[in-house]
Amino acid sequence: MQILHIESTKSTPEIHFDPISNRMQIKGQSYPENAFKFYEPLLHWLDEYLQQLEQEVLVELYFNMPYINTSSSKCMMMMLEKLDEAYQSGKKVMILWYYDEDNETAMECAEEFKEDLLVPFQITKVEDSSQ
Amino acid sequence: MQGLYVIKTNIVSYLPVFEDLNEVKSSLRRQKGYYFLIPSKNGHIQGGLLFMEVNLLNLQKTLQNNGILISFAGRFSQEIIEELGDAVKKYLETESISQNEIYNVFSVFIEQTQNIKNYSALKTDCLVREKIANSGIVTIGRSDAGHFVSSGNIMESKDSYALVQKLDIINGLDRAGLKRLYKEQMKKEMVPGSTGAGLGLIDMARKASQPLKYSIDKLDEEFHFFTLKVNI
Repeated sequence: MQILHIESTKSTPEIHFDPISNRMQIKGQSYPENAFKFYEPLLHWLDEYLQQLEQEVLVELYFNMPYINTSSSKCMMMMLEKLDEAYQSGKKVMILWYYDEDNETAMECAEEFKEDLLVPFQITKVEDSSQ
Repeated sequence: MQGLYVIKTNIVSYLPVFEDLNEVKSSLRRQKGYYFLIPSKNGHIQGGLLFMEVNLLNLQKTLQNNGILISFAGRFSQEIIEELGDAVKKYLETESISQNEIYNVFSVFIEQTQNIKNYSALKTDCLVREKIANSGIVTIGRSDAGHFVSSGNIMESKDSYALVQKLDIINGLDRAGLKRLYKEQMKKEMVPGSTGAGLGLIDMARKASQPLKYSIDKLDEEFHFFTLKVNI
């Protein structure tokens, strides 16, 4: 599988999905014109990746999204559900969510995602998450 | 002719006198702008077109009197939404308010403008789609109760009932009820062809300090004008 890398724009986050190191990163705010069109390739990539993933490999997903609009939230939920499913089928998936200390809403948003999932989901406060 | 016909504005600055209604009609068709029609003493219709170039001072006063800090009227492209969104954030950062309030104002602004954009995009009839897309307006302002974001757009009258129903359900819910509805909607299958997730209004209500305020004005049989005000 190939690395999936997408540079950030004003309304879309930077994407870096690496199948070799088994680390996936999404960083930046998300309110694209059409969220489903933007996230569709990511969802396909994940489907393929999770299918070939061996049980003992640890997968880490880093999220740092200061702002997500509602249609992006829906896409994030679709993505997180795929990861949750993989976890429940015995794969070692872990979600690490970072938020800026003064961005309470980003924390609440992460906590609401976490509520509906079983996959390990760690929410961490950072002083300046843009670094 | 008796009575007041159309008053779209109370700002009078340019007032051509039309001799008959047909002339008024063709003039209004030729030129875009705010217009008003009043009956004159001799029974003729008097009409006025408000040209924005000569009226910016009055327009500015109207905006100031309503506490409006930032406004945009016209078609919302993604680029305009992004630029205005940046302007909103930068402006709010100069005020002594919390990051959360800035975030919430920005968030409601994005949901409102993308809602209008998504709504127009759903229309298959090209003329209807253009009419709706070009009718958008958004304002961000401040009142004693805090900041507010208001938007307006033309909608098809046949869509009014479902919208009012949805808004009334949302306004009838407390915090916990809104969260539940948000999560229910999140789990629903997408409406085919839709670019939205049906979450915008619920999300706005969750970020609002008061119930959503709205009005729907009839323009003609086919179209209504929807106004939504969200106090943060």
